[in-house]
Amino acid sequence: MDAIRIPAPAELDGLDDEHFRQVVRAFLAQNYPEDLRNPPKRLHWHENKPWYFKLAAAGWLCPGWPKEHGGLGLSPSKLIILTEEYERYGVARTNDHGIVMLGPLVIKYGTEAQKQQFLPKILTGEHIWCQGYSEPNAGSDLAALRTEAVLDGDHYVVNGQKIWTTLAMDANWIFLLVRTDKNAKKQEGISFLLVDMNTPGITVRPIINLEYHDEFCETFFDNVRVPKENLVGTLNKGWDMAKALLSFERIFLGSPRQSGYALSRLKLLAERMGVFEDATFQESYARLRLELEDLKALYETFVAKLKRGESLGPDVSMLKVIQTELFQRITDTMLEIAGENAGLLEPMEGNRNLNATGQFIQARPATIYGGSNEIQRNILSKNVLGMPG
Amino acid sequence: MSAALDDSDRQESIRMIRDSAAAVAPVGGDTKRIRALRQTLPGFDAAVWQQMGELGWIGLRVPEAAGGAGLGVAELGALAEELGAALAPEPLVAAGISAALLAAAGAQPELTALLAGTSLVLTAWQEKADTLEVPGTADGQRVFIPAAAGADAFLLPVREGAKLALYWQPAAGAALRTEYTYDGGHYGTLQPAPARKLADDVGAVLEQALDDAALVTCFTLLGGAERAFAMTLDYLKTRMQFGRIIGTFQALQHRAADLKMQLALLRASVEAAAATVDAGASGDARRAAISRAKVRAAEASMLITRQCVQLSGGIGYTDQYDVGLYLRKAMVLSNQFGSANLHRRRFVATAPETEE
Repeated sequence: MDAIRIPAPAELDGLDDEHFRQVVRAFLAQNYPEDLRNPPKRLHWHENKPWYFKLAAAGWLCPGWPKEHGGLGLSPSKLIILTEEYERYGVARTNDHGIVMLGPLVIKYGTEAQKQQFLPKILTGEHIWCQGYSEPNAGSDLAALRTEAVLDGDHYVVNGQKIWTTLAMDANWIFLLVRTDKNAKKQEGISFLLVDMNTPGITVRPIINLEYHDEFCETFFDNVRVPKENLVGTLNKGWDMAKALLSFERIFLGSPRQSGYALSRLKLLAERMGVFEDATFQESYARLRLELEDLKALYETFVAKLKRGESLGPDVSMLKVIQTELFQRITDTMLEIAGENAGLLEPMEGNRNLNATGQFIQARPATIYGGSNEIQRNILSKNVLGMPG
Repeated sequence: MSAALDDSDRQESIRMIRDSAAAVAPVGGDTKRIRALRQTLPGFDAAVWQQMGELGWIGLRVPEAAGGAGLGVAELGALAEELGAALAPEPLVAAGISAALLAAAGAQPELTALLAGTSLVLTAWQEKADTLEVPGTADGQRVFIPAAAGADAFLLPVREGAKLALYWQPAAGAALRTEYTYDGGHYGTLQPAPARKLADDVGAVLEQALDDAALVTCFTLLGGAERAFAMTLDYLKTRMQFGRIIGTFQALQHRAADLKMQLALLRASVEAAAATVDAGASGDARRAAISRAKVRAAEASMLITRQCVQLSGGIGYTDQYDVGLYLRKAMVLSNQFGSANLHRRRFVATAPETEE
């Protein structure tokens, strides 16, 4: 194959889709660290920052941002291609909350001063963000959140507790949903606030998950004083802003790559365990393959919508449910055939490709995060099927 | 040919076909005609069959040079979907096999009459249950011929050496036995009596025509499942119990959401298969795409129609309520042109595994 030239960042969005895909493949082959492909666990900042800085240096860090803010200005269809190729190559997630969540929100709702203050520092890796949405008593019912911000002179004083703050121990800034009006209807008294994690009164406590990994944290706020100019958008309108960003995310949670990767590992495991030709295994394996193929077909119909420039409706929730439940079925099957290896803490034979237990455990939160599958079914029944109540 | 049309022209062509279905399957129409034809012979309406011919439906996929419309399987599928929603009993899918064979055989007068809807020619290819194989045993009984009592003639594939010849057998005087099916239609069993040879070898054409019939049947099942689900959803939104609309119960909302996801997968699967076929796929790629769609169509349509009966409660188990008609139709169609098990095996045998 001829070597593919990597065009300048500003030229990428002008390429035709197939050419763009080849460029992304070549870029990954040339730049992505081999030992970070398909990592068994979510990486910490000290592990993924070489890749983060490589992306930053190449100008590829923020593919979805407009060019004038230092992004690649990619269309939704190119963003999908980029994501597909990253997934295909087994590219690890970085500490990307600033890139994926905060940046787009500031670009859309922030003041000029906020854009100047925050966007460049995401691009340089100086600010690493985490997300403070959920609370112990506001999970699926996120709008019930109680962490409070009270105006005191030029500052908001924040008190309360956030939970599931992914990689908060790595972050130096956090974006928060906070209650700024206790008397309003619950969705209408919420604001969006940016907080320096080095402010006195913030405590971060890691939570060890079922994978024995400290991906999540609890984050406590005790009279934390935040300059009032760190409020983004309109006071008490934070809920609508946060929600507007979520639907585009949901298509990524429904990408068939996660299940596709797991299915290919199931095959390797079955071969290693000597059950691949077994009729019982072949039957389940055939069913899983067919499920994956139909998921791909459904996913393509949503991608086609984006390519036509249409926005996605609430029916994109289907993808998240179908994908994550298939991912779980595949990893359940891994445990079923792994024998005693299904109890091992580390990948069997030290082989990352035979990591039945790791895949199984990683599949558990997939049906919980990003809006649990029960919440997605509520969305489908109410907003897609128009069911009452 | 349809594959040459660009995407928006294609969508327009499919939309027009859909709209034209209203001639036989009016939007919001009732099931009076369908109910009256149940357990009668031939079990369909000769006038409607002729109307289908006049509308060009019987020859939708037949090349224009042979008197057809030369359209793709996506168009025929869209039409079958509408007719499936309306439960139309006319044997459009079965006749499609005969049209393909007659066109290949160059039997123009017979083809012209079939496409006009003035005669019905059915292909008596099957010799056992749940198969897509055509042994072509000269004197072997031909079984599971849908709507056989309405046929004016049968096409008989007969094995001659390595070739599969095609013979014509008039229905008049034929030894034909019929059995009713649960949807109100019937299957015929025919004792072959080849009268006139039409072609020396139709093996490849027949294999492809049976696969196409399997795929179009998927669309019929999709249309039925969609309609049954829409009726059930209406019921969940209006039925009161315990002083509440039952659709406010989360247990039922989540069941409805699950059925909606099955419908979405069903549509995505069969439309993707149709696109593969219309793009000119051949051999195993074509077989794998169709088998995958048929597995989904058989399983999802049965799941959805069973659940629709359940969610409708006692009324769902009555003959007077239309939801049950869709379950009975799915019972018949889900195993026609290969069951889910058959197609799952064939998918494994034909689909290459994608490397991750």
